[in-house]
Amino acid sequence: MAYATRRLRNLVMMTLCVVSAAIGLGWLLLILGALLYEGFSGLSVAVFTQMTPPPGEAGGLLNAILGSLLMTGIAVVVGTPIGVLAATYMAEYGRHARLTQVVRFINDILLSAPSIIVGLFVYELLVRRMGHFSAIAGAVALAVIVIPVVLRTTEDMLLLVPNALREAGTAIGAPRWIVIRSVAYRAARAGMITGVLLAVARVSGETAPLLFTALSNQFWSTDLNAPMASLPVTIFQFALSPYEDWQALAWTGALIITVAVLTLSILARTLGGRREGR
Amino acid sequence: MKQDMSLAMAAAATRDAPAKIVVRDLSFFYGQQKALKNISLSLPEKSVTAFIGPSGCGKSTLLRVFNRIYELYPKQRAEGEVLLDGRNILDRSQDLNLLRATIGMVFQKPTPYPMSIYENIAFGIRLYEKLSRSALDDRVEEALRRAALWEEVKDKLGQSGLGLSGGQQQRLCIARTVAVRPKVILLDEPASALDPISTAKIEELIDELRADYTIAIVTHNMQQAARISSRTAFMYLGELVEYDDTQTIFTSPRQKRTEEYITGRFG
Repeated sequence: MAYATRRLRNLVMMTLCVVSAAIGLGWLLLILGALLYEGFSGLSVAVFTQMTPPPGEAGGLLNAILGSLLMTGIAVVVGTPIGVLAATYMAEYGRHARLTQVVRFINDILLSAPSIIVGLFVYELLVRRMGHFSAIAGAVALAVIVIPVVLRTTEDMLLLVPNALREAGTAIGAPRWIVIRSVAYRAARAGMITGVLLAVARVSGETAPLLFTALSNQFWSTDLNAPMASLPVTIFQFALSPYEDWQALAWTGALIITVAVLTLSILARTLGGRREGR
Repeated sequence: MKQDMSLAMAAAATRDAPAKIVVRDLSFFYGQQKALKNISLSLPEKSVTAFIGPSGCGKSTLLRVFNRIYELYPKQRAEGEVLLDGRNILDRSQDLNLLRATIGMVFQKPTPYPMSIYENIAFGIRLYEKLSRSALDDRVEEALRRAALWEEVKDKLGQSGLGLSGGQQQRLCIARTVAVRPKVILLDEPASALDPISTAKIEELIDELRADYTIAIVTHNMQQAARISSRTAFMYLGELVEYDDTQTIFTSPRQKRTEEYITGRFG
């Protein structure tokens, strides 16, 4: 009797869980499906070789793709060392320091701060002072988003490195910085790379911080001191437009960005899931 | 009768050996808690000294004072003197990295660095010596041979040290310690995480190393202490209860507590 009730309860709970999971996953599949359906037909060589067109003309997304790559690249190159070094202080040198707790708290806030606020911040900091929108401002805004992601994952990964390993490095006569570089970093390497990849995935889809900083550019531009196109902003702009050919390009751009982020996430997963040295 | 005499002679020989490490009135604190209480003893050169006692008695703590590895952690401090060849290593002016290169340590859990087998050994050598590639190769081989590991790994030096079995990993750690040519080797329960066959190999290894190194070993295994050491220290609650020739400790201890521990009445 009691057993039957318990089985029933189990069945109900399990069904609820499965349905919830299916709903969560369902939306994702719907989004991917819609992107493929709407965006795939627009994929062509032109997308990767031509500039964003005026309405009614043929064109592609090359300047937007390049802009995204360039600004994301700069953001990661600038943000990663800062994040890694800060995390190294927190996990290795100042583990019990008050500063570490303060930085961790602030970093957590930064990590969940709406990215539009980051955009506004950099707008005030750079764009207003320089007097114009620029790619460099866009890259800085993205770097501000990269730092907390890299910092958090790096700190977590370094904290996972057993102290026994640090002791072993120290016991052979290695100075602290060598223990950190050659033992702790190496033990945490896979996780740290995962963190950087996640940061790349995160910023390559950011629109809000770029709206106030890099703005956009309809033409080919590699000038960091001038406005620069990016995929998310172009998608935003084209999707809102009344022109059908622009809307089609927006779908294609969305598909490209999604596939790129998905690939990065999968890569991050594989690297993170692989045990070091096995 | 004859056996007793030779044992007595061996013990006398150890007693006459010059002291490598002399501990004078050493106390150790974890924050407010006093973990070592005014320890004094000396370790004879090129011999094996065992530290036994129940968990928490301070034997590992004492070992961790010898290379000052406790300084990795805040709120741990030592008072007193530890003389290595007559020099107080607790002195502020002591270079910690050099000290640790002189006094090697092997831990309870095997801790290969996250590198290849070759790099595990070369890492420590490179810290203090600039060698040519071939000289380094020789040193790595020599160290692995000393640790009786060469035959098992010579064809996979480039593979990760983490891929080895537990016993092999521990011998790798011993090889890596020996490779930097220390004067003293500290072993903190080096075999307690290993199976009996690996343990036997480690013990054989220790027996070979005693000719060249001063060895201090912490062990929970009393048979092990009896087999491999010439001097044994019994510690209890942070105090050194008794310190004598291993033979004496295990056959006719002077202290009642030593006898009770050795016969398994507590601990």
